[in-house]
Amino acid sequence: MTSVIKKASLSLKRVCFKRGTRTILDNVDFSVSQGALVLMTGQNGSGKSTLLKITAGLLKPQQVQVSFVPHDGQQGSYPWPRLKKLLRRKVCYLHQHPYLFHGSVYDNVAYGLKRQKMSKQEIEQRVVQALQEYSLESLIHRDCHELSGGEKQRVAIVRSWITRPEIILLDEPFSNMDKESRKKSYALIKQMCQQNITIALTSHDPLIGELSFDQHIHLYQGKITHKSV
Amino acid sequence: MNDLTDASIQALQLLLSGDAQVWKIISVSFTVSLKAIFIATVPAIAVAFVLAYYAFPGRRFVITLFNTALAIPAVVVGLTMYLLLSRSGPFGDLHLLFTQEAMIIGQIILAFPMLVAMSHASLQSSDQRAWETAITLGASAFVAAVTVIREVRFGLMAAVIAAFGRIIAEVGSSMVVGGNILNHTRNITTAIALETSKGSFVEGIALGMVLLTLALLLNFFLTAIQGKAEVIHQ
Repeated sequence: MTSVIKKASLSLKRVCFKRGTRTILDNVDFSVSQGALVLMTGQNGSGKSTLLKITAGLLKPQQVQVSFVPHDGQQGSYPWPRLKKLLRRKVCYLHQHPYLFHGSVYDNVAYGLKRQKMSKQEIEQRVVQALQEYSLESLIHRDCHELSGGEKQRVAIVRSWITRPEIILLDEPFSNMDKESRKKSYALIKQMCQQNITIALTSHDPLIGELSFDQHIHLYQGKITHKSV
Repeated sequence: MNDLTDASIQALQLLLSGDAQVWKIISVSFTVSLKAIFIATVPAIAVAFVLAYYAFPGRRFVITLFNTALAIPAVVVGLTMYLLLSRSGPFGDLHLLFTQEAMIIGQIILAFPMLVAMSHASLQSSDQRAWETAITLGASAFVAAVTVIREVRFGLMAAVIAAFGRIIAEVGSSMVVGGNILNHTRNITTAIALETSKGSFVEGIALGMVLLTLALLLNFFLTAIQGKAEVIHQ
């Protein structure tokens, strides 16, 4: 772990989430710093994925207070419709088993850029460049359903990265990956951190020691039981 | 058996001879049903999407209503519309009774629940991750919905084809609100009913052949499209 304390770029406080009568997250405080690499651990059902989805604006919590720095620097209880828009603009979430849309690798990587209303030429240029940067250019015209698990995961990470989010949340990104794919994914994540993108990931992976984390959070039954910087 | 063969051969000859009356009947059928399916599809898929992806009070009740509406006989739709559109009915002033427009409305009413129910089943079983992925990549709710619809397009296409099959083959509604007027509201099914009641089987069989050919073409089309989809078991 590095000991550098960076300024929090996104902070969620007192996050509560219940499903029926079951409490999934109980007053959890979660903050990430700009360009930091955050590791989130915990047993299955401890609330890791739920916390990531709330952070990405995909799940509505019963209670949350959010502050963005340096965006507005103020802590606020925004109404959920506004808050989720703010979160979705900054944060990109990747599922444990990423979903790739029907079509080619190019179509998938270009998906987010099309939403940013770029010209066709610019999209093409950026997709090719991104795939080259992460050594995936040979897959560009491949149908996504023909890819291996590791390739799918890496294509999905590049697809998230290319939209230039401030924060990328990876839910168990190394599950079902062989050693070689993991190595490539670690390199990809390191590269992204160097570009000042905040990355938070959940993992049970013992090989995760190959990555140097800025922060470690351990969740147990919906509560943070350990936090280290 | 010989009667059937003879009638079929004569029916084929009638179709190939380009009989204006027969082809007008076929044209009315296709015009009315294609317009009905064209109008009903987009709103029905939108309703199905809302039912599958949004929680609101009474959602289950609405789903049950649409599923129940699948069982409504076409003639009941026709009769209800007749009462609404007849001179003494609330919409009598629109003068829609015995027009193609009335037939289109009747067929929309028949197709809509089927489109909603089948599209809802497809969307309900769609992968939630598709929606979340689209949203997290910056898509608006509308674009994300279009993306999810694109992902389940084969199921939705099957819904459209099934609904089209239902309305082009229905007779009750078209007969009651269309009035079976030659060169105006007479379509394949009302013509078959009429010709059969007169004992003129040749024209009935000819028109039946057209319906069956249509069903065959639709299924070939669906199979061809689905052929491009991912094969589950190789």
